[in-house]
Amino acid sequence: MGTSISKMLDKIFGSKEMRLLMLGLDAAGKTTILYNLKLEQDVTTIPTVGFNVETVTYKNTKFNVWDVGGQDKIRPLWRHYFSGTQGLVFVIDSSDRDRLDEARTELARIIQDREMKDALLLVFANKQDIPGAMRPDELSRRLKLDEIARNHLWKVEPSCATTGEGIFEGLAWLGNNVVPAK
Amino acid sequence: MASLAHRPAGQLARSSSTASNRSRSNSIPYNRQAPASQSATNLPQNLPQEAAYSSQQQSAHSSLDSQKQQAAAEQQTVTEYQGPVLRSQYPADSPENHVEYILVASFDIDRGSVMEHQYPGPISGDENMLAELMLPDQAHMRNQDWTIFFLHKDTTAEDEAREERNQRRRRRRRRKELEESGATGQIQDDVVDDDGDDESEESDDDAEGPPLIYVLNLVNTKQDQSVKRGAIVKAMAICTRHSFLHIYKPLLLLALEEYFRAPMVEKLASLYNAVNSMDLSLMPRLTPLERHILQASDTKDMFVEKFSLMIQQRMAEDAQRLSQGSQSSTSATTKYQVPRDTHEFESRVMYNGIPVPIKVPVAVTPETVGDFSLIKLISTFSTPHSTSPQAFTLHPHLTTSGPMTHPIIVLINALLTQKRVIFLGHNQPSGSVAEAVLAACALASGGILKGFTRHAFPYTDLTKIDDLLKVPGFIAGVTNPAFSHKPEWWDLLCDLPTGRMKISPKIEQAPITDGMTFFQQGGPGASAASKDSSLNGGHTSSANQNDPTGDNAFMESIVSSITNRHGEAVIRTKIRAWVHRFTLIAATFEEIVYGASALHIGASETDADAYGYGVVGHGLVWPDEASRMRDIQAQVGRIEGWRQSRSYFSLIGDLARAWERGDALRGIDLGYHIERLKTLRVGDAAAADVYLAMSRAVERAGLDPDSAEWEDGADEPGPGPGASGLEVRTHEIRVARREKARYDVINQLLVALPESSGGLFYLSLGLFHKDTVVRMAVVRLLERIMVHEAGRHFWASLGRFAKLAFFRIKRDAEGGA
Repeated sequence: MGTSISKMLDKIFGSKEMRLLMLGLDAAGKTTILYNLKLEQDVTTIPTVGFNVETVTYKNTKFNVWDVGGQDKIRPLWRHYFSGTQGLVFVIDSSDRDRLDEARTELARIIQDREMKDALLLVFANKQDIPGAMRPDELSRRLKLDEIARNHLWKVEPSCATTGEGIFEGLAWLGNNVVPAK
Repeated sequence: MASLAHRPAGQLARSSSTASNRSRSNSIPYNRQAPASQSATNLPQNLPQEAAYSSQQQSAHSSLDSQKQQAAAEQQTVTEYQGPVLRSQYPADSPENHVEYILVASFDIDRGSVMEHQYPGPISGDENMLAELMLPDQAHMRNQDWTIFFLHKDTTAEDEAREERNQRRRRRRRRKELEESGATGQIQDDVVDDDGDDESEESDDDAEGPPLIYVLNLVNTKQDQSVKRGAIVKAMAICTRHSFLHIYKPLLLLALEEYFRAPMVEKLASLYNAVNSMDLSLMPRLTPLERHILQASDTKDMFVEKFSLMIQQRMAEDAQRLSQGSQSSTSATTKYQVPRDTHEFESRVMYNGIPVPIKVPVAVTPETVGDFSLIKLISTFSTPHSTSPQAFTLHPHLTTSGPMTHPIIVLINALLTQKRVIFLGHNQPSGSVAEAVLAACALASGGILKGFTRHAFPYTDLTKIDDLLKVPGFIAGVTNPAFSHKPEWWDLLCDLPTGRMKISPKIEQAPITDGMTFFQQGGPGASAASKDSSLNGGHTSSANQNDPTGDNAFMESIVSSITNRHGEAVIRTKIRAWVHRFTLIAATFEEIVYGASALHIGASETDADAYGYGVVGHGLVWPDEASRMRDIQAQVGRIEGWRQSRSYFSLIGDLARAWERGDALRGIDLGYHIERLKTLRVGDAAAADVYLAMSRAVERAGLDPDSAEWEDGADEPGPGPGASGLEVRTHEIRVARREKARYDVINQLLVALPESSGGLFYLSLGLFHKDTVVRMAVVRLLERIMVHEAGRHFWASLGRFAKLAFFRIKRDAEGGA
C-alpha cells in the first residue's frame, strides 16, 4: 500500500524510475563511473567480484544502476540481469583499440537479446583523458552501432570517469528518453 | 579422490574398534550406584535440617570427583581394565581425517575466479565452480567475509565397490570373532548389537546419499598499490565432514593471513596437518536419546560420567602401554580433565606454535551445521511483522493461519512442504545469508526431520542458477538482488535487510488431495470438527477460535522467550516440541483419513496392550473428539504438503529402522500417557494404571516378553554355587544387558519428561496416590531414575515436597517390613 501511494506521488511530481545495466569489458571503468555517479567524486576501485548496484537520483529520475564484473569468464552471467532493464550503459576503454572487436562482439550479443529489445543504449567512450583515445564518432563507426543497434535508440557520450566529465550528460540523455515503466 | 571413504565417520569408527572391544555395553551406571543410593537412604535422618539436606545433595555430587580420583588411582595399579568400553565419537585411530581438503582461490583481474592450490590433492568436481563459490559476490566491497557451502560428492562406482568389499570384510571378521569366542559368542554378539544403536542411527544418512562435505571459506580483500588495479582478493577454505565446521574459524584466519604473506602450497599443508592432529578421542559417543537429553539440559555436568570413563579407559591404556615398555613416556604425564561443561568438548590445535583452543559441541542433532542463531533468524522476521504486519498471498500449504500467518510459520511451512526458499541479503556479507539458511534448516528440522541441509545452498550466486533450479525444493542464500526480480525462481523470498517474506505470485497451486476433501466444508472431518465441545471444557474452543493451529500462541511464546532472554537452547527445545507435535498430528491425520500411519509404527499392538502393560492408546492427547478434528482440520494443508516431501519419507525411514533395531519401547507410548497425566483429569484408577505401566516398562526392560520373568519384571536368578565359569559369564552378560536396556528406557522416559516442562514433577505426583502399590511402584521407579546418569540431575531438580513424600513412603515401607 505504501508503495502505491509513493508511485502516485511520483506521477504527480513527474519523478521517474529507471533500471540501468552497466556492462563492458573488464577494466573499462564501470565501477568508477558508478561511484562517480553515486558520490560525485573519484574513488579508487578494485576489480568487481560479482556486481555492484546503487541508486542514483538525478533530475527527478531515480536510476537503479547495476554494474556487473567484466572478466570474460563471468560474462555469460550478464543475461540474468537483462529482464526489466530499461537502459544499457556500455562502457568502453577508448584507449584500448586492441580489444575493440571483442567489445563490439559482446555489445552485439547483449543488445540483440530478446529481453533487451526495448532498452536504450548509452555508450560511454570512457578514458577520454588518455592521449590518443578514440573520439565518439570514430568509436560509433568502429562499433558499427548503425548496424548492431539499429532497432535501438543509442548515443555515444565521451566521458572521463575519474573527473566525472560526461557522466551526468549521459544520464540526462537516458532520463529524457526513457519510456516510463507501467 | 580415490582414497575418500564415502561413509559417515561413525561407521568407520565402529569398524575399526569392533575387533578389540567386544563385550561392551555402552553406558551402565554401575559405578555410580553406590554413592547415590547411599545418599538416598541416609537422607531421611537429615530431613528436618534443610541445610544439612542440601549439603548432603552437594556431597553426593562432589563425591563424584573424589570417586573419579579414586578410580584413577586404582587404574594406576590395575593395569587391565575390565569394565565395559565406551567408544569415542572420533577415535584416535580412525582413518577419517577431521579435515579432508584445504583450498585456496583468488580473483584474477583478467580471468576472474581461479583456484590456486588444493591440498592434499585436487578435490573432484568443477574447479571453476568451487573458485566462484569461494569468492562470493561483492567480496571486493569488504575486507573479510565468511561463507559456507556444501559439496555433494557423488559416490563413484569405484567407491561403491570398495564399500562392498569393506562390508564383506566386516561380516567375515564378525563371524570369525564368534567362532573364536565359542559358546558365549552368541550372547556377546547380542550385547554388541544392542550397543550398535547409534551406529545405525548415524548411517541413516546413507539412505539419502553419501555424506556432505561442508566447506568453511574465508575471503580477504587487501588493498595493495603495488599490484595491478590495487587489490588482492584471496580465499581459503576448509573442507570437512564435521557439521561443526565453525570451530575452524580462528585457524582459517591465521592461515589465510599467513598465506597472504607467503602464497605457497606449504602453508596449506601446515594447516592441514595441524587440524588433523586435533585430538577428540576422549569425547564419548552418545546415543540419540542421550544427545537429546544433553541438548535440552542446562546442567553442566550432564553425562560427566561418560567423560570420566573415557579418561579411565585412556589411563588404563596408557598404563598398559607403559608396562609393555613402549617409549611413550609423554602420555604417562598427560593430564586428562573432564570438561567444565559437558556440552562442549575442549581441545586445541597447535598451529605455527600457537595453541588455538577449540570447543567441539558434544551433542549435535541432525541438520545442525555451523554456528547459527535461531533467535537471530526469528527476530529478523518477527519484528517487522509485529510492528506492521503485511498480508501474504494465500496458499494452503503456507498460510495456515490466513493472510496474517506469522512469517516464521510461513517459512517453516514452506520448508516442510518442500518449497523453493531464498534468503536474500543485499549488501550483507555472504556469511550472514549462509547463517540464515543454516538456521532455517535447523528450524524446520527441529532435530527430528532430515533432508534440509542436503538441499541447502547456504551461499550461492547467479553462476549456479541453472543447477539450482533443477533441485526440487531448496533453501538458498544469495546476496544478489537480481534474484528478487525473478519470482519464477522461488516460492518464498525472505529478504534479510527488511525482514519481510514474499510468496511468489508464480507459486504452483496445491493439488487437491483426499485429506483436503475429507476436511473440506461438508466432508466427514469438517462436520466432526464443527461439533460443539462446550460440554467438555468449552472454554478451550473459544480461546482457539482465532488460532485453530495454535501457531499464533506458539509464536507468542517463542517471541516472549526471546524477549526474556531465555537463550538459544530454550528456543530450540520449543521448536523441537512443535515439530514433534506436528509429526504426531500428521500421524493422527493419516490414521483418520487413510486408516493407518507409518509414523505410528506398532500402534495396533500398543492399542491392544499386546505386552500387558495395563494401558492402551498412543499419539497425541486431545480433550475430546471435536477439538481433535478441529486441530487436524486447521493443519490439513501443510500436512498434505509435507506428506509429499523428502523430510516425510526420511522420517518414515528413520522410524522404521529404529523399530527394527528395537530402539523404541514396544507396546507402550510413554509420551502419550505422560501427556494424559499432565492435561487430562484421568481419575485415580486410570492414573494408577499409568504409573504402574511406567514402572513395569522400566522393570521389564531387556526381558523377553515370552520369558517367565516378564510379568513381574524380576531379576533372573543368579547362577548356583556350583555354576561353571561359562554360566557365570553368561549371567553377567544378561545382567549387563538388562541394565543397559533399563538405562535406555529411563532415557526414553526422561525425554518424555523434559526438564523445561516440570521434569519428574508429574511422575512424582504418583507418590501421593491413594493406593500403596502405586506409591511403592513410583518410589521404585524414582530410585532407578536417581541412580541413572541423566536421571540423577532430574531428581536433583525435583521439588522438596515430592522428595519428602518419597522418603516418607520409603521409611514407612521399611518400618512395615
